[in-house]
Amino acid sequence: MLLEVRGLGAGYLGEKVVSDIDFEVSPGEAVAIVGSNGAGKSTLLRAIAGLLRPMEGRVRLEGRDLTRRPAHRIARAGIAYVPAERHLFPAMTVKTNLALGAYPRRPDRSALELVYGLFPRLEERQRQRAGTLSGGEQQMLAVGRALMSRPKVLMLDEPTTGLAPKLARAAFRALEGLKATGLTLLIAEQQVPLALSVADRGYVLENGRIRLEGSPEELEANPEVRRAYLGVA
Amino acid sequence: MKAVILDGIVLGLGFGLLGVGLTLVYGLGGVLNLAYGEIAVFGAIVVSQVMDRGAPTLVAAGVGMLAAAALSVLLDLTLMRPVYRQTGEERTLLGLLLTLGVAFVIVGLLNWKYPTGALYIFVGGDPISIAGVPMAAGSVWASVITLGVAGVLLVFFGLTTFGRGVRSVIQDETGARLVGISPSLVRTLIFALSGGLAGLVAVTRSMSAPLTVTAGFDLTTFALIVAVVGGLGSVAGAFLAGVLLGIVDNVSAHYIGEYITAIVLLAAAAITILVRPRGLLGR
Repeated sequence: MLLEVRGLGAGYLGEKVVSDIDFEVSPGEAVAIVGSNGAGKSTLLRAIAGLLRPMEGRVRLEGRDLTRRPAHRIARAGIAYVPAERHLFPAMTVKTNLALGAYPRRPDRSALELVYGLFPRLEERQRQRAGTLSGGEQQMLAVGRALMSRPKVLMLDEPTTGLAPKLARAAFRALEGLKATGLTLLIAEQQVPLALSVADRGYVLENGRIRLEGSPEELEANPEVRRAYLGVA
Repeated sequence: MKAVILDGIVLGLGFGLLGVGLTLVYGLGGVLNLAYGEIAVFGAIVVSQVMDRGAPTLVAAGVGMLAAAALSVLLDLTLMRPVYRQTGEERTLLGLLLTLGVAFVIVGLLNWKYPTGALYIFVGGDPISIAGVPMAAGSVWASVITLGVAGVLLVFFGLTTFGRGVRSVIQDETGARLVGISPSLVRTLIFALSGGLAGLVAVTRSMSAPLTVTAGFDLTTFALIVAVVGGLGSVAGAFLAGVLLGIVDNVSAHYIGEYITAIVLLAAAAITILVRPRGLLGR
């Protein structure tokens, strides 16, 4: 087991937003956490990343307990998190943003080549300031920066936020490419069909709890999922 | 005219050095450290005390800078902790109030223990000719030291991995945490640097005129003006603003009168806030 979440509960100001979360991710797997807006997907990912202190439960990476470690420790342990808001360094160039992804090490050439191979657009714009990029390019940069640390798990929150449908599909094709390199992915997404198109397994989050889990085929065949998320009567 | 401008540049380099320590701490934590000038004065008094005990000037200067850095770190590790737990406006306000309180305590203690305390580092030697204008040796050496430190700081923040890490915390704290940078460690180190720079300001200023125990308030005020005009959080901006304001200060003092300079400087800061709220090189 690469990533293991057991009985996790987290929220804000003493109010739990998610609770009793149990799931796991195996090496090389792509796992989707789907659910509507406000289901608690971001809260869950923030708690795993250490940006939010979990109230209960455990998070383990390769058996190592990372619960309640500060975010920078969790990042260095190998969980790279790409939040929906991206949190780039706007006044720095694309290249410097990528270099900082490898912090505290100097960026290594092969990681940089991997990122530029995946997103040629970033190489074209490497001297441009991150704040001047388009939404789609910023998303590429956020993913690229996360990859520079050579993470064990890449965790993405709503990678399609603010992207036009065509760009959203392109983003998921890029994620498929990443999966093909053997990278482990954990993706929270409310565009359920897109998320299930790349995932090996999915979990449905509702009101802060996991309601269903299964393979994409099982979930797509589930009447509840069809009604609530796939727009099928 | 040439002499007036050159004097202004010398003065301005000092301003720039003063602004850097304040602007960095603000950029990182959103705290305007109103005790900054008092930390510089504290450093100055330590230097003068160590010199009085017969230590060589360089050693005394080093000890004073370390003492100022230590005081600054102490502030970060104790009183600033509750400030960082706040966000936005509350953080700014609490930071202002607490550091103002610290300023009062330091100035009170220093005035009580060393009412006539002052630091003057005498630099001997003939005036040095720069572009045909004879300049006091102390001022020239102070400027050389300041330029050297400015160069080191710019290289450090622009090119080293840790320096970029510091800038990343200034631009997006959450983003910095996500790439594996500890904002609290960075803040503590920058408080140390800021304190050390305050100590250095005290040393370089005292090379051309005595720095008395009451100088803290003026130092803080100048540092604030420089930091605002340069762009809060920008190292290059602080030096650029420092030099420009130094020239403005000296030209107005020379052609209008000494009494007008404080008003001119404050007006420069006010105009900057109106025209370009981010400051000269702010993001």
